[in-house]
Amino acid sequence: MKIVKSIYMLFLLFVCLASFDSPAFAISGPTEQLKPTLKVLIDILVDPSLKGDEHKVERRAKIMGHVVKGFDFREMSQRVIGKEWKTLPPEKQDHFQALFTKLLENAYIGKFEGYSGQEIKYLEERLKDDRAIVSTQIENNGQDIPVDYIMLKKEERWMVYDINIEGVSLVRNYMEQFKSILRRDKFEGLVKLLEERNSTLE
Amino acid sequence: MMMPKKNITFFLSLALLTCIGAPGWAAQANEAEGNVGLSIDTNQEDLDEFFDQEETSDPLESINRVFFEVNDKLYFWVLKPVNRAYSAVVPLDFRQCFGNFFDNIAAPVHVVNNLLQGKFAGAGIDLSRFLINSTAGVLGLGDPALRSFGLEPQLEDFGQTLGVWGVGEGAYLYLPIIGPLTLRDSVGFAGDMATHPATYVCAGYLEGTGYYTADKVNLLSLHPDLYEDMKKFSLDPYISMRQVYLEYRRNKVLDRKNKNKIINDL
Repeated sequence: MKIVKSIYMLFLLFVCLASFDSPAFAISGPTEQLKPTLKVLIDILVDPSLKGDEHKVERRAKIMGHVVKGFDFREMSQRVIGKEWKTLPPEKQDHFQALFTKLLENAYIGKFEGYSGQEIKYLEERLKDDRAIVSTQIENNGQDIPVDYIMLKKEERWMVYDINIEGVSLVRNYMEQFKSILRRDKFEGLVKLLEERNSTLE
Repeated sequence: MMMPKKNITFFLSLALLTCIGAPGWAAQANEAEGNVGLSIDTNQEDLDEFFDQEETSDPLESINRVFFEVNDKLYFWVLKPVNRAYSAVVPLDFRQCFGNFFDNIAAPVHVVNNLLQGKFAGAGIDLSRFLINSTAGVLGLGDPALRSFGLEPQLEDFGQTLGVWGVGEGAYLYLPIIGPLTLRDSVGFAGDMATHPATYVCAGYLEGTGYYTADKVNLLSLHPDLYEDMKKFSLDPYISMRQVYLEYRRNKVLDRKNKNKIINDL
């Protein structure tokens, strides 16, 4: 009886190991997909040949070119606009997405440029259907800052659509701001405001 | 008249959205030490809670916005020039020491609120921090409790205690000088004044206000870009700040799961 049990256990172990190795398993994990995305981002940020103001344009282009592979700006745009998104023609959606992506780039990438190689700790992954939260911590001046990546699975790829820092959501912050602007100035007014803001941040 | 944690948390949570990489926002992280192995959790209930966030109650928006403008002017006309002079005169090291000093004095507030929430380990940590920092830290100017003993501040305040007890957050308020609060946190603010030593040492109203102002100016000098960054990157700074404040406070009341787990294991 014992032998049967141990053979069975061995078999189970085998199945587990096999599934760990298969690419299908690697694709299904949000953390596994987030890790390389952030790794490349960090490599660009600490790359000495890309440092300094004279490389700013090149560096940002590289960062954005990479960020779009792991961060879903379409989903973010849709979420910050809310219900009205579906009523917009595709060219207006594209235009808004470009503007909103530019705002995030201007606002946040500049802040990331102070990064000096602190390690990211992956703490926890919580999954529900096609959504996931990957909790991480990053050390800054001796303190650990909790950063959660909120992800959505689209065609077998996990993409980040929100970042929560200390429980404060980035997307929701913009969503709430845009809600009252949309009510007051409609979509066209919001686009105009975004265009103006982006031009001052360039 | 004190500078309760909520103002620090508020400033710092702004930092989170604006100053990734800046020194300021780090000062708040009261998460327990990392090095926790990645765990996969499929507990779905708290995910539902997470994805469906609370609605915001802001019936006083029009008045709040007026005070938001007032504070904005105060910031640019008074606080910022004062801060510029202060930062020029007082070197960064000293300002950090003063920050530690203000935090250390507020320790009784945090000990009491840890106890009121039944967080005995947390109360012990804050009490130890107070004892270590007041002695080895030379009247709280240094923070050897963190640096040598790895004791992270537990920073519970009465607003959080009320939240833990099940009191709803109530309407959002934006007060002159003090800034954002919920109705619940304004009661908490008053409660914390009762446990803050400065209330008893600074007997007069003027002295109390002076203490509060000094704490606030010092705090600003340590995180100079927060407010302006927040304004620069948002299209409606009033709503942006409201959202940051509310979500940050809600998160504090809920406490992050892993933090709880680690504290309970102590």
